[in-house]
Amino acid sequence: MMLEVKNLVKEFGGLVANGDISFELRQGEILGLIGPNGAGKSTLFNCIAGYYKPTGGEILFEGKDITGWSPHQITREGIARTFQGMKIMPNLTVEENVMIGAFCRTGDRQVAQKEARGILDLMGLTGEAEALPTGLPIAAQKRIELARAIATKPRLLMLDEMAAGLNPLETKEIIQILQKIKEEKKLTLFLTEHVMEFIMTVSERVIVMAAGKKITEGPPVEVARQEKVIEAYLGERYAKGR
Amino acid sequence: MRQLLIDIFSFRDRPRFERIGFLIFILIVLIFPWIVTSAYGRAVMIKFLLFALFGLGWNLIGGYGGQVDLGQAKNVGFGAYATALMIVWWKVPFWITVIPGIVIAAAESFAVAYPMFRLKGHYFAIATLCVALVWKELFIFWDWTGGARGVELPIRSGVDFVYMQFNSPIYYHYFILFLFLMQFFFVNWFRKSKLGYEVQAVRDNEDAAASLGINVYRTKVINYTVAGGLGALGGSFMAVYYLYIDPDAVMPLDLSILIAMTVMVGGAGSIWGPIIGAAILIPLDMYLGAWLGAQKRLGIDFMIYAMIMMVIAAKEPKGIWGIIERVRKKGTR
Repeated sequence: MMLEVKNLVKEFGGLVANGDISFELRQGEILGLIGPNGAGKSTLFNCIAGYYKPTGGEILFEGKDITGWSPHQITREGIARTFQGMKIMPNLTVEENVMIGAFCRTGDRQVAQKEARGILDLMGLTGEAEALPTGLPIAAQKRIELARAIATKPRLLMLDEMAAGLNPLETKEIIQILQKIKEEKKLTLFLTEHVMEFIMTVSERVIVMAAGKKITEGPPVEVARQEKVIEAYLGERYAKGR
Repeated sequence: MRQLLIDIFSFRDRPRFERIGFLIFILIVLIFPWIVTSAYGRAVMIKFLLFALFGLGWNLIGGYGGQVDLGQAKNVGFGAYATALMIVWWKVPFWITVIPGIVIAAAESFAVAYPMFRLKGHYFAIATLCVALVWKELFIFWDWTGGARGVELPIRSGVDFVYMQFNSPIYYHYFILFLFLMQFFFVNWFRKSKLGYEVQAVRDNEDAAASLGINVYRTKVINYTVAGGLGALGGSFMAVYYLYIDPDAVMPLDLSILIAMTVMVGGAGSIWGPIIGAAILIPLDMYLGAWLGAQKRLGIDFMIYAMIMMVIAAKEPKGIWGIIERVRKKGTR
């Protein structure tokens, strides 16, 4: 088992952002996490990646208890992530951004640079290697974030809202890239998304969250038909009236 | 080994005009004492190189690291006192005193960095300032360091390479140039090292840095330690150059601020920034200050000084180097 989340609880003051969440993520799987705004998806992500300390519960990565670890320890263990609001280093070139990811596994600049170039090539960013990332379009910046995360050589890659702000064509491109790198790097993917088309086509299995709780999980086609899922997204009246 | 030497001495990653500019700069500095023969002019040049050296060290934490440190004077003081006291007490040769100076400054920086990096931004800056002021008061208070009276070094005649005392400023010129170049090439290596990239990542975005496996806290502490150690080198030079040190001369608040300002004016986070900043602020300080002082207009130089800093801080956070880069990019487009 790649990742096991057992009875995870995260409270902010009196607010329960994640209440008793349990799920498993198998080796090589693509798992999607969906739910309306405020469902607690990002909180769950941040708990797994170490940005929040869970109030209760356990997180096991390849059988190892990583609950409450720091973000950098979790990355070194083999889980990489991207951010919902992009967090790119604005004063470093595209290549340097990716090199910093590669430095996670090596102390040698030559090795890091070579690896960064390889990944940029895979991402179709070779032409922008020397540019500063802030001047580039959003789609390119998303790819830089992805490239940087892959450079840390993760086994589990967590993508937070990868398609947000992209047009349909760009979304299609990023799906293709994702599928390519998943095969090449033998990754397990865990993604949250607002864009339904993206998550439904990419994921093999989805988890649905609403109001801090996991309401269901299963293959995308099945889940999308369930009444409580439609209810969570569109309200009770819409679900009943169908 | 070969790669290490390349990393130290190579600027191949920088544009050609920068490399040519650096060569011209080195040539000017090399022949300077043979062109300018006035004692004052030579003294200005030595002070410029000294502050460029200070700036290079500060640039690690303040420029590449993005942590505004307003307490570098304490490290200058550690270096100056280590050299002065060891020469006075035990007659230790200068070059051997440099090492404990650096080690003491680095060790102290490491120790105070741990609690200080619980703070961020302005709060961190204020903490560094306070730590430096505490050290200055301690050195005034302590008898064993000479207290407020300071330390006088025994004067040697002629040219003495053991204690680095010379009867001509030309020697001091090449002496400080040597120290400057040592530090310069160290920083050139640093900016391309793993640690160099890590501190820049932390400066730009701490969350993203952590997501790439960087221990943000540890990176800041190590960076502050290294920058502290570098500050001591110039302090050791001050001891044998001025031959008299006291806490007001080697650890005042003004010195901390001036070091930070030279880098900010020149361009923080660029290897050329400290040199440009020192080349502007030090002559301005020494010539303008002397000229206005002679006309009994004391204080006007400080106003001009403060104005330059405010304009730079408000209009061009990347300093003069930032302006140069922008103009050049427009030109090539």
